[in-house]
This record gives sequence, structure tokens and C-alpha cells, in this order.
Amino acid sequence: MPRLPPSLFWRASKEISPLAARLLPVCRDLQSAANELRWIREHVKSTQSPVPDGLRFWSLVEKRATGVPLQYVLGNQPFGDLDILCRRGVLIPRPETEAYTLHIANILTKSSSTPLNILDLCTGTGCIPLLLLHSLLASPSVAGPISLHGVDISPHAVRLARENLAHNIRLGLLPASIQGPNSSSLGSGNPSQNPNPYYTLKFTEQDIFSPSFLSSHFPSSQQPSTQPSTQSNPQPTSKDMPKNDLDLLISNPPYISSSAFTSRTTARAVRQHEPRLALVPDPISSLLTAYSRESSHSGGSSQKVYESCHPADVFYARLAEIVGMVRPKRVVMEVGGWGQAMRVVRGFVVDGWGSHNSFSTHNMSSGDGSGYESSESKSGSGSGSGSDGLLGSGRGQGEYEIEVWRDEPAGENDAKHWAVVDQREVAVRGRGLARVVYLVRRDCWEEDEGRKG
Amino acid sequence: MLAAPWVCRSCMVSLRRVGRAQFIRRFSTESAPNLPPALLERARKLTVEHDQLTAGLENDFDPKKAKRMGEISRVASALKEFEKAKAALGELHGLLESDDAEMRELAKDDLAATNAQLAESSHNLSVALTPKHPFADMPCLLEIVPGPGGTEGRYFADSLFHMYKTYCANKGYRARVVKYEASDSDGSTGSEGEIPLQEAVLEVQEQGAYDVFRGEAGMHRVQRVPATEKSGRTHTSAVAVWVLPSFPESDVTDFEADWDKPESDFYIDPGEVKSEKMRAGGAGGQHVNKTESAVRLTHIPTGIAVSIQESRSQQRNREIAWRLLRSRIAQKRREEREEAARQLRNSVLASSQITRGDKIRTYQFQQDRCTDHRSGANVHNLPDVLRGGETLGKVMESVQTWLVNKDIQGLIADEEAAAVVEKKRK
Repeated sequence: MPRLPPSLFWRASKEISPLAARLLPVCRDLQSAANELRWIREHVKSTQSPVPDGLRFWSLVEKRATGVPLQYVLGNQPFGDLDILCRRGVLIPRPETEAYTLHIANILTKSSSTPLNILDLCTGTGCIPLLLLHSLLASPSVAGPISLHGVDISPHAVRLARENLAHNIRLGLLPASIQGPNSSSLGSGNPSQNPNPYYTLKFTEQDIFSPSFLSSHFPSSQQPSTQPSTQSNPQPTSKDMPKNDLDLLISNPPYISSSAFTSRTTARAVRQHEPRLALVPDPISSLLTAYSRESSHSGGSSQKVYESCHPADVFYARLAEIVGMVRPKRVVMEVGGWGQAMRVVRGFVVDGWGSHNSFSTHNMSSGDGSGYESSESKSGSGSGSGSDGLLGSGRGQGEYEIEVWRDEPAGENDAKHWAVVDQREVAVRGRGLARVVYLVRRDCWEEDEGRKG
Repeated sequence: MLAAPWVCRSCMVSLRRVGRAQFIRRFSTESAPNLPPALLERARKLTVEHDQLTAGLENDFDPKKAKRMGEISRVASALKEFEKAKAALGELHGLLESDDAEMRELAKDDLAATNAQLAESSHNLSVALTPKHPFADMPCLLEIVPGPGGTEGRYFADSLFHMYKTYCANKGYRARVVKYEASDSDGSTGSEGEIPLQEAVLEVQEQGAYDVFRGEAGMHRVQRVPATEKSGRTHTSAVAVWVLPSFPESDVTDFEADWDKPESDFYIDPGEVKSEKMRAGGAGGQHVNKTESAVRLTHIPTGIAVSIQESRSQQRNREIAWRLLRSRIAQKRREEREEAARQLRNSVLASSQITRGDKIRTYQFQQDRCTDHRSGANVHNLPDVLRGGETLGKVMESVQTWLVNKDIQGLIADEEAAAVVEKKRK
């Protein structure tokens, strides 16, 4: 970080307030110091406390000056129209997440196949399902019941997510579900058991890497995972698709590599104050050893995939596996940038992620993803698995269509261009940094395209 | 030389003026019956373009081309008409030289009619060639303001106001009184119950009203013995009339409500707006947790930029920024329109020009006469004029013809100048 000139401190205390000068080292410029000071003041005024306002204001500014993120200092963060509570130990919702969540909500309202069934993995504060719920309820085209499910490994996060639901209901931003938010903790499996006709939103504490994760959520998708090897029984699950089709699988998993976490790429405030658990995927060994004993058959093969991919991409490999089993209509995965987006796309396109075959036999023998030749990979995924790959070799083929969204995927007029990954064109939408890898099942994609045309 | 031994100098000056003080009637000159070659050339060019466009549009439709074609189709048909008449005339001339006496007789009879037809079609052609006034299709505002002077002018301004109002009623034009203000409140009225008018604005809401009334803009002079005059002297006063195109009423609340309609001032094509979240560079996403929520919107065509960082919520900031951008653009559009209207007003009549000198029309009460000084139309039956009757219509029509002819003259001058330039270049 460059050194701030003393004149800036002088100006901050002269023009704004001496406390603004205290915030300068963390805010880095006058404007944002002034803004944050104003927001802290507004927060103090809007909350009641036996402690005098001036003292509270001062102590909050001092706390912020030590580098604690403002969201933790004030305890909340606006997210879309909602107010999300933030607490140390749970990742703060980011504006990028807000942007693509609203975008996918918009896509869902247009297609509006109710009842909607949405699963959010690594939910953290629960901001994604909460905002999705808010946007879907606001849309007149969504009539049927909506079922949302947030999963996180951290008990803190799950607790906070439940609090957030209650908090937003209290603020009147979300309608109260009939059973009340507390009942969500009772939720144990099938969301259709819940008699609430309007919506169900529950948060559960689970490890998505655990082999029992899928079977507990999708009893119908149990079949392939319990079988010793799909090679002996190459029938894909798509034949007996479950009734409770998953409409959206959305996830903002940890995606920072441990090297990027320690380098300058990651801001100091993030590094020091936000949970590493939510940012950096665990080393593969610790992630998987716990389960390899439980289920040696699938764990062993998956492990190879996890080990072969970039350490920051482990969660995507697992997500791909889940996609391959559950076959949701749409998949939204936040990624950390263009490089990661391309690695994930390559995982799907070249390495055949998500096809049962890739996880059972893993015929890609070479370790690093860059070494593949296109013909080799095509023949590999093609011959080994029949038509089992999620993505075909060209655009308009395969079971899924893949896209990369940038920070602002919204506007229809935004530039759409193509990235070529291994001779396969991948649509890239929007402006800014690559933020999301989006998979959409062919039938839904055709429906979307038909609506545009 | 002079019978008187001495004549006062000022008397002599005034005597000398008598000889010169003749009433000069500026009659308009009719446009030449035979079309100048420059104009004909232009018409031919446009017709060729028209034919090309017709052929092109058969293959693929292009709204721009179609619009252009609609504009010049008038010229093409008028030229066809003209050439037909010309061909007929040539034929008649051929017949006149024939040996058959009966034939010659018949041709002679037809000649006059064909000549008239030719004159008419050539006039039509030149009318078609004159570009339409950009505001011609619009409704208009008539502003009536009395010139400097006493209450006499103010009374007459009121008469004029009623004249136009009743004229609109007679013609079936929808008209609305936008403003009607008396100058003082002592309750005095003119001989016919007029009030001393300060300013009046009449909106004629009919499409194309601007074209009908644009000839009315200018100084209207009245010469009469006012009711207030005790010694019976004739007074001359002036009233200014402005004619402005009337743009759709911009009621802020209404228009803001339907900002997503393209005709609204508040409408912005989202494709023309560049939206930036003013985050500093870097990886974004989970890598940083900046609190910056600033939203910056730039309207590319006008370069108007709005940046908002009021709220911590980016969503809220974006809403505020859009609303602000919309109203700023609406403001700009309105200002531009008002500027255009102001320039138009200035071109019609500068406010300093309200004098009795540059009149366009005189209402002479003692002679029961209304004269338009541009077209030279001279009508009697002044009461009917002031009642907005047919007589006023006649005067207005004469002005219309005069305006069109003036436009044609201008066009011919332009074309000839262009032709000269062209020749020089060659």
C-alpha cells in the first residue's frame, strides 16, 4: 500500500472531522472516509442504547480505524433491498454477489416454472437465498410455492443466516412464512414435507463434501452414488429424473488459493478479519481424508479429480459432481476472475467434469490441465462415457450450455462475446471481471433463447 | 419663386414631404409562370432518387429510406403532372400548325385551358419542392402582446385575441386559453367591452395549426378613433402577435410516471447509459470488502454523468442515480426546446421591435378596411374580420400563398446559386 501524504490527513481533519483522519489509513481516500464517517453516525443515531451517542460513535470509529470491516463494525450490510446482518466469522456479502443474484432472479422470474426449488451451497450469511426469495416474491409471474435451502459447513454461518431471515421478516422486507423462521431449524430433508404453501426457506449445517450430503438431500440421486461403479451400470440418472427437479443450484464457494490469500491480491482487511474458511478451500488432503474411510469407492476416484485440479478449484469439482448427479436446470457458481473461470470452464468442457465417468474412472491421466490435446480429450470423454458428458464438443450440443458472466451481466445491450476453450465457444456476457460460471440445462436454455428471439 | 417673402424652415420641410409621402403598397410578386431551369433540374434529380428508392424498397424495407421516399414522393408526382401538361401543350402546338381548319379551331379552344393547367402544375411543383417548415405539423401558441402606448393598444389586443379565438371556433379548431391577463383592475372597458389586455396566450391544439397561423406573426397596426378620445383624433397603435410551435405539455409528475415511454422527456434508452460501479481496480469478489457503493451513470449521447454514493446500498444508489439522470436529461431536453422556441421568437420579432413601423397588417376603422402589407390583400368589412369570419380567412389565405411564394423564390435563388457554384467547379 502506498504511503498516504500527511497533507491528506491534515485536510481530512480540517475539512471533515478529526475522526475522518483516523479513518484515512483504512479508507485510503477522503471521500470514502467521509462516507464511512457519515454512515457510522447515521447508524449510531438510528439505534438505541444506554451508552451516550457520542461515546458510541467514537468507539465505533476507533474500532473501524483498527481495520475491522465497516460491515462488522455496524453489524449489517445492505444487499439488494434487504438488510443482511454481518458478524465476525461469517463472510460479508459482496456487491458482485448482489449483482449476479439479481440477474439470476430476473432469469428465473422470466422462465417462472413454479414451484421453484433452489439450493444454495456455502450460503454464509444466507444473503443469496434471502435476496432470491425477495426478488421472486416481488415478481407477479411467480405464483407457486418457492422452496429454498441454504447449506453451510459453519455453525456460525447457519445461525446467522437464520437470524437474517428473522431479521428481514421483522423489518417487513420479507413476508413471514406461516410456520415462522424458527421452524426452519427442524427441516431435515425433503422440502416438500413442509406444508407452507408460500415459501420455505431453511438453512442447514452440512459439509457438501460428505458422501451423505447428496443422499440426504436428493434421495432420488442416491442411486448412482451408492453403486460401486457407474462403469458397470452406465445408465445416467437423467432417465429417472426426480419429481422435485432442482431449478437452481447457486454457490459462492471459497475460491481464493492460499497463495493469492497471502499475497496482495487479497485485501488486508479480508485476510485479517474475515473467516479463512469462507475464502480459501481447505487443502485437499484434510478435506477428503475424513471421508475416504467412509466411502472408499467414490472418494478415491473423486480425490483424483480434486488433486488434479487447481487447489483453489476444489469446490467447483465437487459442485460439478453434484451437478452431474442432480442435474439442476441452472447452475450459478461465483468465481474469482478470468483465470479461474477459464479453469472451471475447461474442467467442464475438456475434463468432462460432472459426467459420472470422469469421477469414476478419470481417464485423464496427465496431471495438469494445460497438457490436454483437444482430440485426445474429445475421444477420451466421448468414447469412455458415450453421450454422458454435461457439455458437448460444440455450441448447441451436450446436455448443458455454459456461459461466463462478468461483474455486470444485466443489460441486454451489453457486449456478448465468445471465448474459445478447446475449440468450443463459450459465451461471455457483461462487463467487468469474470465473476460467474453459469450452466443451463439444454431444455431451459432453448426456452430462454426462444423468449429472446 | 415663392409668393410669400419668407417661409418658416420647418414648414418648408413639411411641405416638401407632402410630395414624397405616398402610400407604397408592397404588393407581392407572383412566382414566374414558367419554371426556372434550376428548379426543374432539382425536381428531376429528386424524381430519379424517388424511383431508385422505390426499386430499393421492393427488395428490403428500410424505415429511413421509406421516410425519405415519403418526403419526395410529392415532388415526383408533381413533376409527372407537370410533364403531362407540357406534353399536352406540345401536342396542341402541333395541332395548331395542322392543315385542318376545324382541328386548328379545336386546338385553339383547348390551348387556354392547357396553359392554365401548365401554370397550375408548375406552381404545384414549386410548392412541392419547397421544404416543409419543420414545425408545420405542430399545434401552435398565439401570443398577443400590446405594443407600447396607452390603453387603446391594449383594447385592440383584446379584440385581436377574440378575433383569433372566434376564428378557431368558426373553423372548428380546438383552442385553449393558456393566459389571459388584464393590465389594470380599474374595470374600464373599451367601446365593445374589451378589457385592457396585458398578455394573452391562446393554444391552438390542432395538428398543423402552426402552418395555418405562422403568417399571423408580426406587428398588427390599428388606426381608429378610440372611445376614450375626446377630440376625435385617429390613433395608431400596434399589437404584437407571436406564433410559436406548441410542444406537448410537460407536466413533471405525469411524465416522470411514464418515463419508460420513448416520447417522454424522462425516457432514456438504457443502451445509451454507461453504468460504472466505481470500485477501485483489483480482483474484486471475495478478495476485497470495500464499502464503496458509489454508482456512476453516464448518458453517452449528452455526456451527462451522475454519481451517487449517498447510501451504503448499491441498489439504492443506483435508483437515486437513475432518477437524477432522468430528470437532468429531461431538464436539458426542455431547455433545448425552450431555446429553440426562443430563437424562433427572436427571429419572428425582437421585443425591441414592437413599434408601429414594421407592421404586417393594418386595421383601418374609418375606412372599414383591413390590409395585409405583405400579400397586398385588401379587404373591407372590418367587423367580420374582427369576428374571425370568412373575411379574415381570406386575408390569412393570401398570406399563406405569399409565404409559399416567398419560400419558392428563396429556393429558386438557392438553386441558381448552387448551379453557379457547380458550373464554376467544372
